[in-house]
Amino acid sequence: MKAIYKSQFYALFQSQQERCFYIDFGQKTVRASFCQLLALRQKVLSIEIEDHFDSDLNQHGFELLQLCNKEHLFILNTHEVLDLKQLIQNGFVQLGISSTEEILMA
Amino acid sequence: MKDIARQGMSIKVESMDMLNIQIKMEAHASATYLAMASWCDQNGFFTSAKFFHKQAEEEREHMMKIFNFLIDAGGSPISPEITNINHDYASIVDVFESTLDHEIAVTKSIHAIVLKSREVGDIATERFLDWFVMEQVEEENTIRDILDMISVTGTEGVGLQMIDDHVGNWIE
Ligand SMILES: [Fe+2]
Repeated sequence: MKAIYKSQFYALFQSQQERCFYIDFGQKTVRASFCQLLALRQKVLSIEIEDHFDSDLNQHGFELLQLCNKEHLFILNTHEVLDLKQLIQNGFVQLGISSTEEILMA
Repeated sequence: MKDIARQGMSIKVESMDMLNIQIKMEAHASATYLAMASWCDQNGFFTSAKFFHKQAEEEREHMMKIFNFLIDAGGSPISPEITNINHDYASIVDVFESTLDHEIAVTKSIHAIVLKSREVGDIATERFLDWFVMEQVEEENTIRDILDMISVTGTEGVGLQMIDDHVGNWIE
């Protein structure tokens, strides 16, 4: 198992033997195929973080995240969402399928 | 390190994101042309209605072309949510002028993806978009020709009905 990227709260690993990825969420580790990792990226990056600062749009500043075809459910606060976005963006750069510019923007 | 992610996907994620936005744009164009077909039909421009029906189908084909490319490339295509379809037009001229504006917006969006894919070194996406770049030149040209025909014909008297008849020349 190889560490791809570590953010403040989370970590992304790649398993060569199993041809899959692991995301360490702290309280639990989630196994994901590449397709599931892409789906996770889509979900996390499309979270509107601005809504967390608007009490009408997101009253409590929490985000519900369903992963891997409804196998897992996470409740994340604003800090955790931002950190997870960081993990995803930098993780994909490390994986070699995202341009390096994004790492500067993140 | 074995490159599992690269083995899973042939294009860059930035390209995938932009192509997913383009899927939505093509779907929006398709829905807009269907609304125009409805307007034309209700206002007695039956040939133009047929023209926009065909345009709506073409835009859906564009959408599916991108959708299938993302599948072939190992990416994750997103089925788009479409809202905000305008059904109000002041005249048949307004319909065609809006069409040209819409096509120009699509052209700009395609060009932006070409430039971005070039920037991130995603040659596959850049080459895939060649067809779209040329298609947009044709689309814009068709609508421009129709607008020229409209200004030559004029909208006075039987002009409007002649315009509608002439639009038939652009239905293949
Ligand atoms: Fe199109």
